[in-house]
Amino acid sequence: MSEEVAMSGPLDGIRVLAMEQAVALPAATRQLADLGAEVIRVQAPQRARGEDGPNSLTRNKRMVGIDLGADGGAELFLRLAAEVDVVCHNFTPRVVQKFGIDYESVRAVNPTVIYASVTGFGMTGPWGPRPLFGPGAEAVSGINSLIGPADGWPGRPGTIVYADSVCGSNVAFAVLAALDHRDRTGEGQHIDATLYETSVAELGPALAERALGATPDRIGNDDQRYALHDVFTARGLDRHVAVSAEADQLAGAASALGLKGFSRDGFAAAIAALDAADVAARLQDAGVAASVVNDARDVVTDPQLWARGYFAELEDDGDSAPHVAIPWGGGSFVTLESGRPVGSDNTRVLRELAKLTGDEIASLEERGVIASVRGTPRVAAASNEKRLERGELSRVDANPSEWRAVRDATTRTPGGVQ
Amino acid sequence: MTANGARPRALDVSTGVGAAYAARLLADVGWDVVKVEPAGGDPWRHRESRWGGGAGGAFTFANAGKRSVTVPTERLVSLAAAADVVIGDFSETGIRDAALPETIRSELRPRASVVSVTPVGLTGPRTGWASSELVVQAASGLMFLTGEWDQPPMQLPPYQGELNGGIAGATATLAAVRMHHADGEQHDADVSMVEALAVHGYGQISSYVYRGEVPRREQRIKAGLRMVPAQDRFVYCAPGAVSSMRMDGIAELIGEPRLADQRFQTAEGRMNHYDEFVELFVPPFQQRTAQEWFEAAEQMHMTFALVQALDDLFVCPHLEARGFLRTVEAPDGTAVQIPGRPFRLEGGPPEAELGLPRTPGMHTNAVIAEWLNPA
Repeated sequence: MSEEVAMSGPLDGIRVLAMEQAVALPAATRQLADLGAEVIRVQAPQRARGEDGPNSLTRNKRMVGIDLGADGGAELFLRLAAEVDVVCHNFTPRVVQKFGIDYESVRAVNPTVIYASVTGFGMTGPWGPRPLFGPGAEAVSGINSLIGPADGWPGRPGTIVYADSVCGSNVAFAVLAALDHRDRTGEGQHIDATLYETSVAELGPALAERALGATPDRIGNDDQRYALHDVFTARGLDRHVAVSAEADQLAGAASALGLKGFSRDGFAAAIAALDAADVAARLQDAGVAASVVNDARDVVTDPQLWARGYFAELEDDGDSAPHVAIPWGGGSFVTLESGRPVGSDNTRVLRELAKLTGDEIASLEERGVIASVRGTPRVAAASNEKRLERGELSRVDANPSEWRAVRDATTRTPGGVQ
Repeated sequence: MTANGARPRALDVSTGVGAAYAARLLADVGWDVVKVEPAGGDPWRHRESRWGGGAGGAFTFANAGKRSVTVPTERLVSLAAAADVVIGDFSETGIRDAALPETIRSELRPRASVVSVTPVGLTGPRTGWASSELVVQAASGLMFLTGEWDQPPMQLPPYQGELNGGIAGATATLAAVRMHHADGEQHDADVSMVEALAVHGYGQISSYVYRGEVPRREQRIKAGLRMVPAQDRFVYCAPGAVSSMRMDGIAELIGEPRLADQRFQTAEGRMNHYDEFVELFVPPFQQRTAQEWFEAAEQMHMTFALVQALDDLFVCPHLEARGFLRTVEAPDGTAVQIPGRPFRLEGGPPEAELGLPRTPGMHTNAVIAEWLNPA
């Protein structure tokens, strides 16, 4: 990583101090970093695990290692908190109170601070003290109850940390709204965001529909508003097409696949004999909503996404790779930089923000208040053969760099904010 | 930008959920949001749910906290000029559904930004593609990962593309406003629901570009069984990451010492002895209710969760204590509970009254007086 992190974007000049772990808050602060904010990630060095590298949630962040439990650790954190615009954490209420870095303590040193707590259940309420992880949030929020076939068990929204990442997007919005409010009024605020409530908000329309007489449940890939609404398996390994069609589109959909009339079985059989992309293109030509059910390769080689400048490329070790950055597209406002080990920026941040001298920093190191951690070797993953066998992977591509050809062949008409 | 301390203004010219939710989020953080409806009203006032019934529910959620006007195009353009931002679905379909002129986007001159939230965006080779929520979910890469590993992909809950597009649209709006503050120019935003949803698959993208791996759906449920049926309902019973969860604690909790056997301590071991694992793991959960398991696990410092259904949320003591659900009147006059602001604020703008415009255009005169003819 270069010594200077290039910054120019809507959050240029905004400093964020994040005592963060896991996914929800790091996903939010990564968005803020992509908008140009200077994000300082604070972690306990003794708990740091291999969180650096090109594909990590630590990219484009300054990395500081502070042991908040050490004598002087919380004071050092508050000294940094006094110099930033936004302070945030994703620890339980008990932990932030124990360390004395709760909203009241931070506001005492920074009266207009924007302070974001990101927890499972929140800083108040009867379930507040309970820990909660993203997958549990998906369960308790009702999301899982709506995924799966009618006669099956509840499902999960993919293999990803959906609730965490959605919560992160909500937190990024809340921080920008708080900055907007502070610009207009001079007031700071405390954002109390939870995995639980941001997940429930994702079911907001369904809750209102339930209150108005609908009976939400698992119904596979059906949708009563369409005559045909399903996922069909196409030719090849794990290839599928999603189709939504109104009643008056069925004849056209059948014709597009070379059928004389529509029958569900005939339609499914025709798709099974064709490539998924061919099916989607034929149906779209007939005006029917259809898409390949894109896997990771499809997404990375999607000409639509490349044309819109969706991916930002990260250079690491002399090579580059596409990353998703800002959720509304257009890549990133800053040059992407790999994540680095905890403590890499101790000296720089403590000199610039806390105005500490070299001797003072050395003393903090000696007393174990701050520390640096070398990149931690990752635990080796199971062999790909094993992962394929147990269904963890659909396949492994030997040369996953076709995206370069798509990128080079695409004319850019960027989305996002221009 | 709106003068010192005054509420910023957003004009919402959308139908549907995505752009409307972006505008709703701005109302949640104190903005003055006005919805422009066609003379007959937004068709989503009568749109039913995925399951049938529930007409107008999505409209109620996405438009709470707004005022409604019905105005001719020239007046709409004037209102836009008095707003900080205009938010809409400016795809061909979106413009047609909102009964707007084809060229409307180029006529709008708000102070800071015109924000578009559409299924695939306004540029790129697929701009004209027919779309639906299912198609957005499929194109995003998330659907491929949802469902059982040995079954075809499964759709997510309804409106996930729309709502994630809405969150992205609201955030893009605030970014555009900051850019306007910096240079005084209009900065438009073009948000794609596919792109907003695809962000949550960042890990899978990295797995592919760095290692060529194409992750598959629910790979680990087979190795851990995240949710099992208790006496009354399902309970989420995977404390921490399923791939690394240890079975000795679970064995003690559910009274099945054979699960502490070494062969069940790793994901690979559980996969290799899957049938035997299921036989030992699932039946004991029938002995207690989900709530009882949840509390027993908590005593042992294990993070279980109830697998709640939507009806459970309406009576959840935690949501009630935090005042998360708010009551509004739907277009048909029924009082319904919907999520309020998706996060709590201490300080900052007070949470808006979540009144819903019961009839299209009911605030037309008041808004024209305030926005175009201020005293």
